Amino acid sequence: MSSQLHTRLLALALVLAGVLIFVHKTVRYNYPIFPDDVRTVWNLEVLVEFAADNQPVRVEAFLPARGAGRDVVDEQFYSGPFGLRLVQGGDDSNRRAIWTYRFPEGLKVLRYRTTVIEESGNTPLPEYMQREIERVPPPFEGTLQQQAFLVWISNLRRQSADTESLVELMLQEIFSANLSDEVAALIPPLPASLGRLELARTLLQSQGIPARIANGVVLEGPRRRAETVSWLEYHVAGVDRRYFIGGSPSAFFPIWYGLDELVQAEGVTELSTQVSLQPSRLAGNTVVNSRAARDDWIINLFSFENLPLTTQLVYQVLLTIPVGIMILVFLRQFVGVQTLGTFMPVLIGIAFRETALLSGLLLFSLLIALGLALRFYLERLKLLLVPRLAVVLVFIVLCMAFITNLTAESGVRLGLSISLFPMVIITMTIERMSIVWEEYDGMEAIKQGLGSLAVASITYLAMVNPQVEYMMFNFPELLLIIMGLCLLMGRYMGMRLSEFRRFRELAGPR
Amino acid sequence: MNVLDFFAGLQRKGVMGLNERNLRLVAELNPRRLMRLVNDKSITKRLALSSGIPTPELLGSITTSFETRGLKEMLNAPNGVAIKPACGSQGNGILVIAEPMKDGYRLANGRRILFEDLRFHVMNILSGMYSMGGLPDTALIEERVRFAGVFDDVSFKGVPDIRIIVLKGVPILAMLRLPTADSDGKANLHKGGVGVGLDLVTGMSKLGMQYGRTIDLHPDTANSLAGLQTPHWEEMLMMAAQAYDVTRLGYLGADIVIDVDKGPLLLELNARPGIAIQVANRFGLRKHVEPVLERDTSNMTLEERISFGQEVFRDVHPEPPISVDAA
Repeated sequence: MSSQLHTRLLALALVLAGVLIFVHKTVRYNYPIFPDDVRTVWNLEVLVEFAADNQPVRVEAFLPARGAGRDVVDEQFYSGPFGLRLVQGGDDSNRRAIWTYRFPEGLKVLRYRTTVIEESGNTPLPEYMQREIERVPPPFEGTLQQQAFLVWISNLRRQSADTESLVELMLQEIFSANLSDEVAALIPPLPASLGRLELARTLLQSQGIPARIANGVVLEGPRRRAETVSWLEYHVAGVDRRYFIGGSPSAFFPIWYGLDELVQAEGVTELSTQVSLQPSRLAGNTVVNSRAARDDWIINLFSFENLPLTTQLVYQVLLTIPVGIMILVFLRQFVGVQTLGTFMPVLIGIAFRETALLSGLLLFSLLIALGLALRFYLERLKLLLVPRLAVVLVFIVLCMAFITNLTAESGVRLGLSISLFPMVIITMTIERMSIVWEEYDGMEAIKQGLGSLAVASITYLAMVNPQVEYMMFNFPELLLIIMGLCLLMGRYMGMRLSEFRRFRELAGPR
Repeated sequence: MNVLDFFAGLQRKGVMGLNERNLRLVAELNPRRLMRLVNDKSITKRLALSSGIPTPELLGSITTSFETRGLKEMLNAPNGVAIKPACGSQGNGILVIAEPMKDGYRLANGRRILFEDLRFHVMNILSGMYSMGGLPDTALIEERVRFAGVFDDVSFKGVPDIRIIVLKGVPILAMLRLPTADSDGKANLHKGGVGVGLDLVTGMSKLGMQYGRTIDLHPDTANSLAGLQTPHWEEMLMMAAQAYDVTRLGYLGADIVIDVDKGPLLLELNARPGIAIQVANRFGLRKHVEPVLERDTSNMTLEERISFGQEVFRDVHPEPPISVDAA
């Protein structure tokens, strides 16, 4: 059957698309699945203080770079009278702020403030770090160094099985406490541990392994003066790796790459740089949205973050309706619940949002009962269909006004919330119910009415569930999955649960 | 009865649910543009007339409230009339008038109705109260069928009718629908009418059902439902099979009544006949449907289709109905 196959393929494609986008969001951006997921973000501040003496001043500082998968949430500069220029480096993914001023005088302060999301050992390196690079001979100048390198590397080669173990051995020797003579001869003259890191970087690059030196902060807790640390990032055998001297921290944040200092200044004295860190907590989806919104069209496509808040609230409700509809389809096609009208129960369920469940059920039943009474009375007057519906509708509004007054006096809040209770839905329900009542009997009408209310309650509970609301609003791609499921349900040929009862006499052994 | 037996039984008897009927039969075989032909009874009537299928005579039709002025004249048929919504479903909105009486008319069920009420009923029909989707409708005034007394022993006030399911022009299943006290003279099963399975070859009645339960005796008259011979059986099968040629609807329910003078008359056609007939026949639809679906019936003559349907029926129900045990 070709339409069967067609439907299944279409449903599969829809579900697959939905799942892929969902997985993309949750895995790539670690998009939180639960509404109460709170992430830690870090307020990072770089404070540069210096004294100037009427000389042209130029202060350069590295800023956290923006790039795929990692971004800074918001940035503030405090520049005073200084001119500020932002420079995005080429492929070294460094970003620089350049402050300049011609005639500064006295003590000056420059400040940069941003919110960043912590990275961990699992954070992927940028794509250019994962590309293969060519092997080049290491740029050692003196023959002594070249000889030392050759001896050392051939030793390492003998001791290792593959590139991965070679790298491990190499790093172990470079960063060991008692250096061998060969290694000691190779380390370039650079401050602190940078020499060893730079040696490791050049050697890895010479072996065709992309590597870079990252500088940043370790995120452990609030710090007024955080030290910047340097580490090695490289990509070997398809795995992103980081090498920290003295053990990996669980959370860190790289600010810049390379051998330069965080801040470089010309024409100043008494330069002091201070990096401070302050953790704060934010809702998970806010973090991810602001981080990913700029560079991921998929997230942009399926996101409401950029809409005005009121529109967002509307969509928050709107997006849950398909969930209710899906439940309704299931209850009708698989269970066989009898309801008044096709989507009427879902509309009633939406109406319950205004009143909450219990008072909604109460109110609804009351209004239906009153309306039915009027409808049966009107039957004697022999009115035409549309005017009769109008009379019932006006009566319903009157009843609602009366109930509101009554409950307002007695101080019950229920009355106030009914203002938007959809009276057209009630009127149509009354009309349908009374026709069923006439054509069949009261039992059948009440049965269908109760069926509708039961379905309405179930869909209401599903639609106001915070998890459902959160999921649908933050992952609208789930609509594709719902659509696919409804397609599949549209080709369900099996029996409904109610039909097992209906045909029970035909069941069983002969 | 354990759960497995339960399902195995339904499976073995080939019981079809509404989902399967909608997808495999209605959606596959009944194009929407053809449904119009049977949804509007005035069109069905015209089609039947043009191809010689007998139907109750149309005395008049009312489309606008202005035309209700002529209503009184239309009601003057000697044998009474039936007022029907042209696009009604499930027998809703049908009023059967037996004869005029003081201040009004006597209904078939013996009650009196004032002319004013009758007119209001027609107005309701026009405003679409009984039509599918609530669209404005037409009221048809037909000659009342005077039912032949063959099933009097098993009817309680009202008109029994015969429903024949026709698949791709092949009659596959039939049932007799009998009015009861519960159903208020109507033969509709969901209103409490009794459905009795008919042997497609002989037209002999088997056992029945009411409210989805199998029964052996009529609930009001307590006479046995089995072993009654339907008159004009071959003719009815012909009419039902012919209805397919007229409408080209692949899955069709033909409702036929027997007039005492005119013989079988086609009351209406149904493009989505219900599945309760399975309980009346105590067997699922699937076993009857599948051999017909596999066969190409487009080149078969009327007679070939009927005998093919009877063959399939006999394959599924090998025993002649006389010997069916009430147990």
